Amino acid sequence: MHTAPTALPSPRRPSRPTREFIIETDRLGKTYGAQQALSDVSLNVPPGTIGLLGPNGAGKSTFIKCLLNLETPTTGVARVLGCDIRASHRASRERVGYSPEQDCHISGMAGCEYVTYCGQLSGMPMRVSRQRTHEILDLVRMGQERYRSVDTYSTGMRQRVKLAQALVHDPEVIFLDEPTNGLDPSGREHILSLIGSLWSDLGISVVMSSHLLRDVERVCDRVIIIGHGRVIEHDSIAALKTRYRRIVELSPSSQPERFVAALAAAGAAVTTLSNDRLRVESKSESIEWILQLMRAARLPPAEIIANPDGLHELFIQSIATSHGSQS
Amino acid sequence: MEASLDLSRWRETPRGVGYRRWTIASTGLRQMFQLRFFKILLALAWASGVALALIGFLFGQTVATGGWLETAAASIGPRAQAMAQVVGGLITLYPDVCIGGWYTLVFWAHSHVGLWLSLFALTVMVPRLITRDRATNALTVYLSRPLTSADYLLGKLGMIVGVLVALWTGPLLLGWFLSVVFAPDTDFIIYSFEPLLRALTFHGIALVALSAIALGVSAIGRTVRNTIPIWIGLWLILGFVAETPKAPEWLQRASFTRNLTETRQGLLRLDAALITASQSLPLIDARFAENLSRAGDKARASDFDGALMSLGVFVLISSFVFTRRLRPE
Repeated sequence: MHTAPTALPSPRRPSRPTREFIIETDRLGKTYGAQQALSDVSLNVPPGTIGLLGPNGAGKSTFIKCLLNLETPTTGVARVLGCDIRASHRASRERVGYSPEQDCHISGMAGCEYVTYCGQLSGMPMRVSRQRTHEILDLVRMGQERYRSVDTYSTGMRQRVKLAQALVHDPEVIFLDEPTNGLDPSGREHILSLIGSLWSDLGISVVMSSHLLRDVERVCDRVIIIGHGRVIEHDSIAALKTRYRRIVELSPSSQPERFVAALAAAGAAVTTLSNDRLRVESKSESIEWILQLMRAARLPPAEIIANPDGLHELFIQSIATSHGSQS
Repeated sequence: MEASLDLSRWRETPRGVGYRRWTIASTGLRQMFQLRFFKILLALAWASGVALALIGFLFGQTVATGGWLETAAASIGPRAQAMAQVVGGLITLYPDVCIGGWYTLVFWAHSHVGLWLSLFALTVMVPRLITRDRATNALTVYLSRPLTSADYLLGKLGMIVGVLVALWTGPLLLGWFLSVVFAPDTDFIIYSFEPLLRALTFHGIALVALSAIALGVSAIGRTVRNTIPIWIGLWLILGFVAETPKAPEWLQRASFTRNLTETRQGLLRLDAALITASQSLPLIDARFAENLSRAGDKARASDFDGALMSLGVFVLISSFVFTRRLRPE
């Protein structure tokens, strides 16, 4: 069973009774005919901002759908916010928000009408729901377009309104499936910072599935890596980084061949990248040894970037490890 | 970088599932009644209710002792006055046949109006029940909330019930109420009650059958382009084919409109009302009595049990279809 060894920072404004785990699964499995989409997923996920990673078809969306009862698990049990998803069918989703990957809206409604309606579907009284709707739509930066029909929205606007409907009923946890798809750079920046603040400011846990590893690395404090329907890794990003090799990129101002020779002589694995940068497998978390080496070998100055794609590296390695262990 | 969030919080206990189902039904209804087509249908439906009330009112005022018919007849002459008194006497002597029969006829006529208006309304409504939600993946929005597919269906069923009540049952009840509230005596309430209950029973059966069929058809297609032709095919084309004289029994039973017609004849019992009138009332003209009896024969249900069974099969098949299709994709 994968559990959380490292403690997470508590939200600045804790607003709910703290729970040890928001998601608990035991041998959760889902098959579609002969295809095993999820297999023996056992997890205890503490509150926080959690990234759900995995290659296409790994089972991320199936995992989320099983937790929301949108798919019926074939085996195992799961609890969301302490409620068994099968036994407490409706209760398990009362304080849960979901923004699916695919486009989804209720045709013929204006944006604010749609979000208000979603709040009501979660049991909010009409007036409260309307008030929260406008606050949330302000938050996701929807202006006057909120009064237009959702059918006329651009992809970015639909993405914002999807996030708004997931947040309107003040959930305790939200599941976001590719929340930045279709957003322009400034919109993406804003939504990511918003997602990042949900846990720290409001105590709303976020489970975010994304292919954009940088997005996950930026906003999440913990990741779950899924491959072939199995959980490959589940830990805080900081802890994972200490467990896998550390990569440093060097961009020498001149004489790159001397850098290669010095690093190779020091026993480090060096690769020259297409942009003339050097990719070095670091021996320790600190880059002090590289600086010492540069001083000792009187090397010219260089730009040093530690863990340039840390999560990407982690992801590739864990998937590769999983492949290796399976074969 | 993190945004600073300043939001109101919502700590209350969420409202129950009944409220959420009501939200689905009422929001759907509000959207429907914003359409001009629906406004026209509503106007027609309530006009039919007012017409029903007027007919009932005029009937009561006409045949009552001392009513305007008697007064007008007295001004024509003693013979006309005597005839008017005979009509009034018939009502007094045979209230069950006269009042009950009259209201059976009126409700029978109104059920045609109500059913047709409902069928027109459902043509517009069918794509808005499940089809559009499937097309826009809105099912995911519903089912990721604290709702089950049964709650969703009950909400949609509430929409259909709302429309049928607004177009059919509501005008009928209004018409009946207004006609009896101004009636000259309580006989009009007592003897119109049984036809009213029969009419409401027919409404109930039609409501169940039409709701299930509409939901089933709505669940079949993923686009409006598919759903409306399926509905029209089931309603008009199959209905027309089933009405042809040489249509085999199975084809006749395959038309839900034909089954509803049979159910109406069987429940409202217009045939019994006409035949009883022709046999019980001391009618002056024997030919009139014979015509009444012949009309009664024509109005008799020929396959009431079969029609009810077929409607049951329709409901079962439709329920199977819409329950199977209610999974997010």
